[in-house]
Amino acid sequence: MILLSSAIPNDLLGAAYYLAVKYAPLFLFGIRNTLIIALTSTIIGLFLGLAVGLLKSIPVLPDDPTWKKFAIKLIHFVSSAYVEVFRGTPMMVQAIFIYYTFLNFFKLFPLLGSYKLTAGIVIVSINTGAYMAEIIRAGIQSLDKGQNEAARSIGMSNFQAMFYIILPQAIKNAFPAIGNEFVVNIKDTSVLNVIGTTELFFQANTVAGTTFRFTDTFFVAAILYFVLTYSTTRVLAIIEHRMQVPVSGGPSSSSTPGLIAHTEKQV
Amino acid sequence: MINIQHLKKNFGQNEVLKDISLTVNRGEVISIIGSSGSGKSTLLRCINLLETYHDGTITFEETDILKFPQGINHYRAQVGMIFQSFNLFNHLSVLQNCVIGQVKVLKRTKADAEALAIKTLETVGLKDFIQASVSTLSGGQKQRVAIARTLCMEPKVLLFDEPTSALDPEMVGEVLQVIKSLAKEHRTMIIVTHEMSFAKEVSDRVIFMDQGFICEEGKPEELFLNPKEPRTQAFLSRFIQ
Repeated sequence: MILLSSAIPNDLLGAAYYLAVKYAPLFLFGIRNTLIIALTSTIIGLFLGLAVGLLKSIPVLPDDPTWKKFAIKLIHFVSSAYVEVFRGTPMMVQAIFIYYTFLNFFKLFPLLGSYKLTAGIVIVSINTGAYMAEIIRAGIQSLDKGQNEAARSIGMSNFQAMFYIILPQAIKNAFPAIGNEFVVNIKDTSVLNVIGTTELFFQANTVAGTTFRFTDTFFVAAILYFVLTYSTTRVLAIIEHRMQVPVSGGPSSSSTPGLIAHTEKQV
Repeated sequence: MINIQHLKKNFGQNEVLKDISLTVNRGEVISIIGSSGSGKSTLLRCINLLETYHDGTITFEETDILKFPQGINHYRAQVGMIFQSFNLFNHLSVLQNCVIGQVKVLKRTKADAEALAIKTLETVGLKDFIQASVSTLSGGQKQRVAIARTLCMEPKVLLFDEPTSALDPEMVGEVLQVIKSLAKEHRTMIIVTHEMSFAKEVSDRVIFMDQGFICEEGKPEELFLNPKEPRTQAFLSRFIQ
């Protein structure tokens, strides 16, 4: 071990390069798992958040019968409790708690040969869902209530109005926050180290433990994390920019004098 | 066609509609005028069931609107509403705004729906904006799209909730022009408006509302030129001079 590590250059950049090349398969495997967990958990978390955000958005109407008011308030309480508990406790604690509580369950469903990957995805998904619920709820609330009224006035059901009119706009408005959750998840999968999921941090730890070069190894890990998050941020920014062009509901008549002049002729 | 009997509505302690009875005949154009807070918009929103009411009944073609056999949504699809703030679907194009209700609610095919939407958009003078994004339109254009969106549902009644109040003065004309042409087609319409000369010109009947009551109603020339109630006289004095 000591002999092996003595072959490593002594300067930071040289050592980092040496380790990155020598342990490339380990790092790449870690990156693969980190990205798998971050991406699937963000998507599952989004759907979980949609469901919970919708439940939290059911209004209690003054004219509803008592049992309905009670049921809706109960639903609100349970969804709020979920959101508050999972946003108010560290994911590392959640990871250990969920992992050991449902260990036998996870062992039944290994993904890509690893039940710790399953556990990791479940943990990060549940955690992300709590944040997504708030993002979706805020996205729904940011819309003018006239959107819902207009949808209902042409005969859409509550569900149709939500599905065809409200949610597409809410998700569009919330897209930056949703994308940000993905970036956060790339970094936060590192806490899955505590349950031994072989993501990037775990792999870096393994390399460092083998070589006893902690600074150098985690310098490599830091660069890899940064490349992942920065490129993701850039890609999301491009998508966001593309989406933004035709969006926004504000009056923009002053910016389109040509169109107005044209209409005046028509009328 | 619409029969309202002893309608009452309150928001908490605040009684907005106190005892409204009103009959709307087929093909009739009714304007509702009155100061802000008199309950005009609330009455319109009750007719479309965007607000619930606490007492009284509204019937549509002899059916209580709360007991519509195919449900409230089926009733709403037959009653078109045009809002003060347009409420166009911002994530959809002009054409899609006019298509989505036809496809999702009336279950028309996309081709049929688009054909009717294009025809309707032409009649409101927006032929060149069919593929435009809603955010690029002026206020007057938006309101005309909103009218087209409602017309595409082929409603039996049109409700206008202050359709020109959110518009720049120079865009009011183009919207009123469209509403006037609809009035000429003898559609059943109820228009809440602050445009007195417009109300006088298009209406078969004008209703003056005050503090949750119908204070006075009559033919436009009578009500505008010779109002009987002191409250109506006070309200109209500003407009007549």
